[in-house]
Amino acid sequence: MTKPVIEVQNLAKDFGKNSVLKDITEQVDAGQVIVVIGPSGSGKSTFLRCLNLLETPTSGHVAFNGEDLTTLDTKRVNALREQMGMVFQGFNLFPNMSVLENIKLAPMKVKGISDAEATKQAHELLQQVNLDDHADAFPASLSGGQAQRVAIARALAMNPKVMLFDEPTSALDPEMVGEVLSVMQQLANQGMTMVVVTHEMGFAKSVADRIWFMADGYIQENSTPAEFFAHPQTERAKDFLSKILM
Amino acid sequence: MKKKVIIFITLILAITLGWATRPTTAHAADDSLVRVQKKGTLVMGTSPDYPPYEFQATVHGKSKIVGMDVAVGEKIAKGLGVKLKVKSMSFDSLLVALQTGKVDMVISGMNPTPARKKNVDFTHLYYQGGYSIVVNKSEKGLYHDKDSFKGKTIGAQTGSTMYNESKKQTTDTKVKGMTSVSDLILALQSHKIAGVAMEKPSAQAYVANNKQLAMIPSHFDLSASDTSAAVAFKKGSTALVAAANKSVDQIRKQDLVNQDYLPAAGKYLKTNTVNTSMWHYWKAFLTGIEYTLIITVCSVFFGFILGVILSLARMLHGGVVKTLIRWLATAYVEFIRGTPMMVQVMFVYFGLGLIVNLPALTSGIIAISLNSGAYVAEYIRGGINSVDDGQTEAARSLGMTSGATMRFVILPQALKNIWPSLGNEFITLIKDSSIVSIIGVSELIFQSNIVRSDTYRGVAPIAVIMVLYFIMTFTASRILNHFERSMQHD
Ligand SMILES: Nc1ncnc2c1ncn2[C@@H]1O[C@H](COP(=O)(O)OP(=O)(O)O)[C@@H](O)[C@H]1O
Ligand SMILES: [Mg+2]
Repeated sequence: MTKPVIEVQNLAKDFGKNSVLKDITEQVDAGQVIVVIGPSGSGKSTFLRCLNLLETPTSGHVAFNGEDLTTLDTKRVNALREQMGMVFQGFNLFPNMSVLENIKLAPMKVKGISDAEATKQAHELLQQVNLDDHADAFPASLSGGQAQRVAIARALAMNPKVMLFDEPTSALDPEMVGEVLSVMQQLANQGMTMVVVTHEMGFAKSVADRIWFMADGYIQENSTPAEFFAHPQTERAKDFLSKILM
Repeated sequence: MKKKVIIFITLILAITLGWATRPTTAHAADDSLVRVQKKGTLVMGTSPDYPPYEFQATVHGKSKIVGMDVAVGEKIAKGLGVKLKVKSMSFDSLLVALQTGKVDMVISGMNPTPARKKNVDFTHLYYQGGYSIVVNKSEKGLYHDKDSFKGKTIGAQTGSTMYNESKKQTTDTKVKGMTSVSDLILALQSHKIAGVAMEKPSAQAYVANNKQLAMIPSHFDLSASDTSAAVAFKKGSTALVAAANKSVDQIRKQDLVNQDYLPAAGKYLKTNTVNTSMWHYWKAFLTGIEYTLIITVCSVFFGFILGVILSLARMLHGGVVKTLIRWLATAYVEFIRGTPMMVQVMFVYFGLGLIVNLPALTSGIIAISLNSGAYVAEYIRGGINSVDDGQTEAARSLGMTSGATMRFVILPQALKNIWPSLGNEFITLIKDSSIVSIIGVSELIFQSNIVRSDTYRGVAPIAVIMVLYFIMTFTASRILNHFERSMQHD
């Protein structure tokens, strides 16, 4: 048995009096694809952001490869963050840079690799997401689906061990959802460890190893897709599924 | 009026600072003479818009300050065995400059009045003149002396003896003060005022050079100290005054002013007025443009750097030190934005000058940079806040430090957002840099004043610099627009 990649222990997060995450203890093993689902406002984004410490937990521990992020200094946290790619609902591409520059920035500034090497790698990643012909375009000229694929390539450029996705397709027109999901599926097939927050139940069923159902500040259920969709255990989950599958 | 208050405040400040930083001269040994001789130069302050006392003339294609006062200065310097250096500034600033050590002496047709004697030491009188009133030739029949101006307005140089006496010794007459005599003559010719009170030699010079003017006697009742000129030194420099008096006494004894100095000055005036076309003065205007641009570009550059630092300092959060830095940066920005730029310029030149002796140009650039930095800081802060939080999150999630995120992701976008405001700041500075003319930097306004007193033409130089300013600001805004467009990707 290898060590889990991410271990979460008694994680809690409050925003003032609003206690969003109450007590979460879970782990992600290497190569696993976890799909987190739950009603909106239940704290899925907050949870994901606690995993790479974009949000500081109020209490509890988050360990990455055995190192407890909550006790490390900023420098070490920055170093570990490199290894956790993140893809946002709103893409968050840098609008003042071309597609290629978006991808090259972090490898050059953080890892210090050369321009030539970064360019070569960026082109390879763009081929992987089918966008090499857009290398010199600026984000404003891209469709939502293209922008999200660039964002995935940008995160991959740091050679992450884990990829975190926060509703990567919910800002997209329906006809573009597929192109992004297929890139994600491809990543999963290559063995990438992934934590995905999504409402795409088809993706959850076919790609996820585990479904985490989150509500009221807790992971209410942790099961395989087959189990979860066929036999949800909690009332909250039953209620959620009945609404979403309607 | 406001300007006077500012000068007064600066003077008080300068004097208090002076007390704090060095022993008062009354108690210290008088080393004034030794100091000047050690330096090898004697710096004379003067306001060169008062022919034939002092004025700008073009000598061998170069603009130079000449006049009988400069000749007096040369004589004194020679007597001390040192070189003379002439520094020009507005009449109002002269005594402050003397108090704060910017100049060693002031020769500017200055009357040794009792009020002035309280603050500075004067030599013996080097010249005894009288007052005349210059009027339009067409109206010469209407006026005989100071008492003919009932219900009318006469003008005099602000801060001068004539100004005070005109107020005291006329009834039912309004007295209008202006800083420069050329402005007064212009006001006279455009019938804003009916006459200009000035010293007789000046009146003669103006009348000789301008066919539309005439002069009448003033009949002011004046004591000798009001009609005569002496050299001013810093209070307590007894040895220096005594040494200068040797030369001054010679000047009086040999009547050098009337025999040599005035005729020589008259010659400059003649050569000067041969060609009064504005083309003839293109070099003077060019110098003005050059300095205006130097001041603006340097101030924008340093102001920008300061602005970035201040805006980042204002966003610090955390421990006591960071909070303190943030607090200081905020206080600085508020203070600078809450005080006039003119006071800041004078404070840097005269106030800071007590600690380090900065040239006027440097002082001007420092003051304007310090000022601009405060405004730029606010623009940048606004620009940074306008960048979406998602940008920071994306950069941080890629492992970038907060510093790298700021530098490579946030600041470039913030700057793009505030580019139009920064451009406006640049254009504002082109115009506002004119403020440093008060400390004698030869930027465009200062140069135009020189051309005006040089040519006795009031409006033309103003029209010229107006066009020049417009060309500069217009060109600048075109260039900035171009850059703005080329930065546009969305
Ligand atoms: N920065 C924040 N400050 C205060 N409250 C926040 C912040 N971020 C999220 N919240 C609150 O936390 C709760 C969970 O939000 P979120 O994690 O975005 O839920 P989800 O992604 O499941 O929709 C919401 O009530 C939201 O208002
Ligand atoms: Mg969310």
